[in-house]
Amino acid sequence: MTGPIGHPASGNNGTGGGVAMANGLGLVTARPLVQRSPTLRFPLSMADTVRVAPGQTISAGILLADRLRDPLVEETGRRRREEAGDSPLLSAGQRTWLLSGGQREPLESPISGIVRSADTATGLVVEAAADSLAGVLAIGGPSRGRLEIATGADGELRPAALDVGRSGSILVVGSRVEAETLTRARAMGVRGVVVAALSGKDLRDFEASERRQRASVHQLAPFAVLVLDGVLRRRIASPVMELLASLEGNEVAIVGDPPQLLFRRVESVPTPPADWVRVASGPMAGREGRWAGPAGPRRFGAAVHLEAGFVRFDDGPPTPVPLADLERFV
Amino acid sequence: MTSDPRVFLTLDLGAATTAAALIGRLQGQWRLLGSLAMPATSDPEPMLDLLLARLREASPQIVEELAIPARASAIGRLVARTAPRGLLAVLAPTNARRDSLAAAADRAGWRVRPASLEHGDLLKLVDAALAPGVDAALIGCADPPLGDERRRLEELNLVADAIAERRPGLPLVLSGAVAASGGQSGTTESNAEAAPARPAPERLFAPAPNAGDPPGAPLTIFLGGLRARPDDGRQGIAQATKSLAAVVDRRVEALEIGLDGGLRAAAWPSAGEPSGAGSLASESAAAALFPPEPDEATVDAVLAWSTLPLDRTRLRDRLRELRFRPWADAQGDGALLRLAAARVAVSRLIDATPAISALPPADLVVATGGVWSSGPAPAIALALADIRRRSGAAQLAIDHARLLGPLGTLDDDGERRQLIDDLLDEVLLPVGSVVVAQGLKGGRPIGRIAVRSDGRSQERELVPGGLEIVDVPPGQLASAELEFREPVTVGTRGRKFGIEVSGGLAGLIVDLRDVPLRLPEGSDRRRDQLAEWQRSLWPDLEA
Repeated sequence: MTGPIGHPASGNNGTGGGVAMANGLGLVTARPLVQRSPTLRFPLSMADTVRVAPGQTISAGILLADRLRDPLVEETGRRRREEAGDSPLLSAGQRTWLLSGGQREPLESPISGIVRSADTATGLVVEAAADSLAGVLAIGGPSRGRLEIATGADGELRPAALDVGRSGSILVVGSRVEAETLTRARAMGVRGVVVAALSGKDLRDFEASERRQRASVHQLAPFAVLVLDGVLRRRIASPVMELLASLEGNEVAIVGDPPQLLFRRVESVPTPPADWVRVASGPMAGREGRWAGPAGPRRFGAAVHLEAGFVRFDDGPPTPVPLADLERFV
Repeated sequence: MTSDPRVFLTLDLGAATTAAALIGRLQGQWRLLGSLAMPATSDPEPMLDLLLARLREASPQIVEELAIPARASAIGRLVARTAPRGLLAVLAPTNARRDSLAAAADRAGWRVRPASLEHGDLLKLVDAALAPGVDAALIGCADPPLGDERRRLEELNLVADAIAERRPGLPLVLSGAVAASGGQSGTTESNAEAAPARPAPERLFAPAPNAGDPPGAPLTIFLGGLRARPDDGRQGIAQATKSLAAVVDRRVEALEIGLDGGLRAAAWPSAGEPSGAGSLASESAAAALFPPEPDEATVDAVLAWSTLPLDRTRLRDRLRELRFRPWADAQGDGALLRLAAARVAVSRLIDATPAISALPPADLVVATGGVWSSGPAPAIALALADIRRRSGAAQLAIDHARLLGPLGTLDDDGERRQLIDDLLDEVLLPVGSVVVAQGLKGGRPIGRIAVRSDGRSQERELVPGGLEIVDVPPGQLASAELEFREPVTVGTRGRKFGIEVSGGLAGLIVDLRDVPLRLPEGSDRRRDQLAEWQRSLWPDLEA
């Protein structure tokens, strides 16, 4: 299917304009394509040492905090005395509890921005000087690298397609990815993966692999996976794919809270027509077309009645689709 | 809301569903003029405008009579919100105490982040309370403390001090012996120089987890009060259930299932209460329709109720997908999967609320929540009958327009009762009645039922192990006479029973299956059995 993008609009006002609200289109869930200056949060433990202060301007790569791996609390006494470099956690009367625990891992900023808060209770909060594309889930990270489109919107990347030539990149891998591909990507020096869907089995397998890696003594290079849509396989939405294509070759970052792909501020975003809708779930998931008006309550499979809208796919007749399965990009 | 006496909107803003209704006063009585339910991700304003547009098209004279404005934004609203549940860090000296505190918090409607000194250290406990998103912390042990708890009491007090110092605005609830000691070690020195500049920590003293009958009940009430909000949808449903019991003068039970948890509220007429009814309500996060990360037990439970030939991996993926998009794929297989998940949620809700199960059975059971919005009413009746295995007769209804939550947020008890009284026939979609007989033996006919209504009589033989469906249309009353060859239990023990039942979309369901329900062990046979029962109440499933 051809993508919906006619020509880049000058910016994106996030409303979809008056046209979007006409003819019942406002009933369709609006999915922001680009979010301006998102606020990011990096959780902190009391064992972490924060290296930045609220109000501080930061750039990508700057050290935000040192994270203590496997922190332990030990009470001082005959077996354990306070030494230089120990970090007291609490003390009451003669009793003191110290923090200890092997290696420290650096937490580097994936993006430029301003630190808004830096304490354990709120985490490290950064207002990013960037734009972002939202996902539904991120694993690992934060991580940054050069964006590379590895497959088409409905493609799937196989482990054999990965080599060290992709080291340092964040790959867009299409509709789904297997845990084996993710593990190999990390081994090849890839910094991250953007994918439409990740199955529960692949998520669990990859997380188990990550835990094993982290249990080793060596420090791991940053790696993150951003899942754009969910669990069940579907193609990346064409407006999202157009946006990613426009960012190819640029430095981007993946963060986990909220799950997002961050990129330099863009003046113009490739915007789909206001009446462009995507079937996000259900039997027609992944198909895209033009909104043709509300269809009212309709009877669908299993005698279920749902509010519906008409969508014209390609040049076909208007097809009723449950409103809850539709989304539009603003 | 009542500043405009002629028309208002209700909005129930849930975690997954936004439900809206338009109420108008016609000929001196409140009437439901229309309702809609959509995913919570939808903008409610176009939805409300659509509601008005439909009314204008269907009945312009009502629009004119009530002088309903052209835009929904000009109409007063009654709003209830059921999302999000607050997050409570539950910190305890032992795992057993952690679990009892967590159960009390769960019943009070909190999401829980538990930690204990038995499997963690001071750092883990403090980190649990300081994590982003935590709305309050509960630190507790029994009063008097048990042996293991007494040993760790000083460390718990230190944890309380450390949390209060590092996050002064966080409500810190101290329960049991921790409260008795004030939750202060009195000698904490860490970060002492920063302390004077910070606001005083908010310490709240709660009943001990071992106090009350049943133990933990006073703590649950305390924690419920801590998160009380005037527009809380679940508390609204509990209040409206109470008013409903007073209005219909019958025992009422509401079962609400939401994305993040559920509510079970029971109410009964009571002349001694100022509101005219007594009530008991309890929430549970365990009754979440689609839990954030479905564990093995959840997958097994949904699989046990599913008629779909799905393997565990695929089912888990579909449940996780539905967590992201609770309204996705609500047709076909998706509808079956939802009702299987709803059965699990209702079952967990009932398990989590033993105090309500101990009450006499309800005469009227009301299902409410987004999961019941789109499924066929008879299929919902079967889902409820599958899980509520109490002998006797009950009328089933659905809060189809999601009015109970918003109406329950009204402060004025009299006003709420008046509205519910006026709207009674429209608030509740009559699904039908279910009669459950217990203690049946053998596979041959063991009796007969005769149902008389509207001048006609229907008779059926009763065969144990199955369902008998008798057509009784909505709005009709019927008298059912059941006669068994051997004594059985239908509320009471006997051979002959005369019951007055109300009709509904599913009619009268005579449930002659086991109490509790026993399903075949093998997955194929179990699916076949479930499908057979389902076909009788969902005949157009394949359509």
